[in-house]
Amino acid sequence: MTATQRVVKEVKAYHWFIKFMIFLVALGAAAAVTRFIFGLGATTNLDDTYPWGLWVSFDVVTAVPLAAGAFTLGAITHCFHIKKLEPLVRPAIVTGFLGYSLVCVGLLLDLGQPHKGWHVLRYWNLHSPMFEVSMCVMAYTTVLFLEFLSPVAEKFGWNIPLRILRWLEMPLVILAASISTLHQSSLGTFFLIAVDKLHNLWYNPLLPLLFYVSAICTGMCIIIVEATATHKWMGQPNEGPLLRTLAKILPWTLSLYIGLRIYSLVVLSERPLFDNGILTILFYTEFILGFVLPCCMFMFKDVRNSDTLRVTAALLVVCGLILNRFNVSMFGMMDASHVYYPSLIESLVTIGIITAHILFFVLIAKYFPIFEHHPETVDYSIPDSFGKINPDKPKGASQSEAVTSIS
Amino acid sequence: MSANHNPKQNTFLIDLTKCTGCRGCQVACKQWNQLEAEETEFFSGEGYQNPPAMSEYTFTRIKFRDYQKNGENEFAFYKEMCMHCDDPACASVCPVGAFEKTPEGPVIYKADRCIGCRFCMVACPFGVPKYEWSKGLPLVRKCTGCYSRVKEGLKPACATACPTAIEYGPRDEMVKIAKERLANHPDKYIKKIYGLHEAGGTSVLYLTNLPFDELGFKDVTQRPLPDYTWQALRFVPASFLAVGGTLSALSWINHRRERLMNQNATSEQAHTPAEEKEE
Repeated sequence: MTATQRVVKEVKAYHWFIKFMIFLVALGAAAAVTRFIFGLGATTNLDDTYPWGLWVSFDVVTAVPLAAGAFTLGAITHCFHIKKLEPLVRPAIVTGFLGYSLVCVGLLLDLGQPHKGWHVLRYWNLHSPMFEVSMCVMAYTTVLFLEFLSPVAEKFGWNIPLRILRWLEMPLVILAASISTLHQSSLGTFFLIAVDKLHNLWYNPLLPLLFYVSAICTGMCIIIVEATATHKWMGQPNEGPLLRTLAKILPWTLSLYIGLRIYSLVVLSERPLFDNGILTILFYTEFILGFVLPCCMFMFKDVRNSDTLRVTAALLVVCGLILNRFNVSMFGMMDASHVYYPSLIESLVTIGIITAHILFFVLIAKYFPIFEHHPETVDYSIPDSFGKINPDKPKGASQSEAVTSIS
Repeated sequence: MSANHNPKQNTFLIDLTKCTGCRGCQVACKQWNQLEAEETEFFSGEGYQNPPAMSEYTFTRIKFRDYQKNGENEFAFYKEMCMHCDDPACASVCPVGAFEKTPEGPVIYKADRCIGCRFCMVACPFGVPKYEWSKGLPLVRKCTGCYSRVKEGLKPACATACPTAIEYGPRDEMVKIAKERLANHPDKYIKKIYGLHEAGGTSVLYLTNLPFDELGFKDVTQRPLPDYTWQALRFVPASFLAVGGTLSALSWINHRRERLMNQNATSEQAHTPAEEKEE
């Protein structure tokens, strides 16, 4: 009883916006329940012509690249060894872990037989991009969970798991990047089977590579957006100098994407390209506003140094990616005589999932040390007593040197 | 994925010039597969056909098309059903392998495996797999090629019921008959066997006297569809190792460099952290 009262008291003290988000998440959860009671046909606008709708287009195909920040930043910080970016890594991992967990939730809602989802582990079909993505998402969610355990272990002072996690850090970072390479690109492979269905503007054999490169760009942009938002609304220190470093990498990756995209359009795509007015507009919006413009913006030092301009350019990339994924998975396959649009229930569930992401991030940041991460100040050596670390004990000279040098 | 060209697999040869539009096949299919009736309206679809589309309750259907010949109104018919591809897209994309091309010919669906992801519906170039939209935990439904009958040496229900238009037998024989008909009656047929090369070859072949696109046949690629995804998926193991290996090597080099720099720094008793110089 006292525990419940304490929780109620805690929740009552929350900011009104957090309460509003809790309401939206509850609404989404209720909508998800109606999907199981009344069936997919009654609650969604899906039919035999459009078997995939908002839940696949956003909750899976778009949410996965939006959660790409964790592996991108992990690789940049630890493998390319740009150590000063370390303070950004933990929030990125939390975002990634939440993102992937919610991808799993979205996927389970969309499946006709969610209770049989584990069949993927039993009946392997190596020729299926869906098999590959499911395996990778499961594996990567586990990796992210292990990476996410660090702040949890720190919070509760579990020193031995913490030691193991520190030791696992580098293998996990490399595993995360390798697994992400596979499934970020395989999401593009999904649509290679839609020959004669997906419009020529988006259908080309390079689709998997384009998905992968754009996911890397978006991963970095999401980190810029997130760090700017936590600075503005959650009272975190301004990480401007670090974001400047990221913004310096972005013109290179964005140029690579733009180059590949133009090559795929000019050389690899079938003709005609511009036979449909609406799709042409969507393509130009996505490509020019979402990729070319921010790429040019990031090339200027003034943009990289200005918090507002930098986050604007990053947001443009994020929007460009979202539009790109919707163009590939939804608009590019639509037939003007029979248009799909999401139903109220579908929209409520997706809004609930997006809100849940932000809400859980805020709550985790409230209770776990994800921003105050300074690994060089913590001694991870196992104390003789296997208990709490003695704060007065000086930092282990040689033993912890090797460990902390990793971070 | 190698193309499954078994010349002995059972194949439908559907001669639309001989189809009378009696829809005996439609009824036989419903009976054998115990499919529920659908509530329909006349002219609810494109023309006289009923029900308006294939669905979870309708695995095959006769499409009607009226046209003018010598100033008189005529009907053309098209039997819509699963094409039972030699190299099925549905089987290649299914994450749990719920579809299988059997040596006997039919592409069968294993409902006990299916997780309901609907990738087969997105992948199928002919739009055949349909979903149980009315159910809370839906499965996919499609023409079974009457595998249960074919296994026992019987012909499929629709081929048995059809009085005129459907031949059923080994693919090489069906192709031979089709070619003979085209050769003997060049005036009667469009010179094309639909299904011979479509989607890499199918176990349903069509002959007709009207252009195929006018009847609603889709102009699908001649390459087996699984090839399109496999050309990307085959790089998966290599890219996993390449990315993993490159990043491992890179980290090892970078960390070693820093360790050496730290050692030098401590040996010289100088206190200059390396990372501050970078900026």
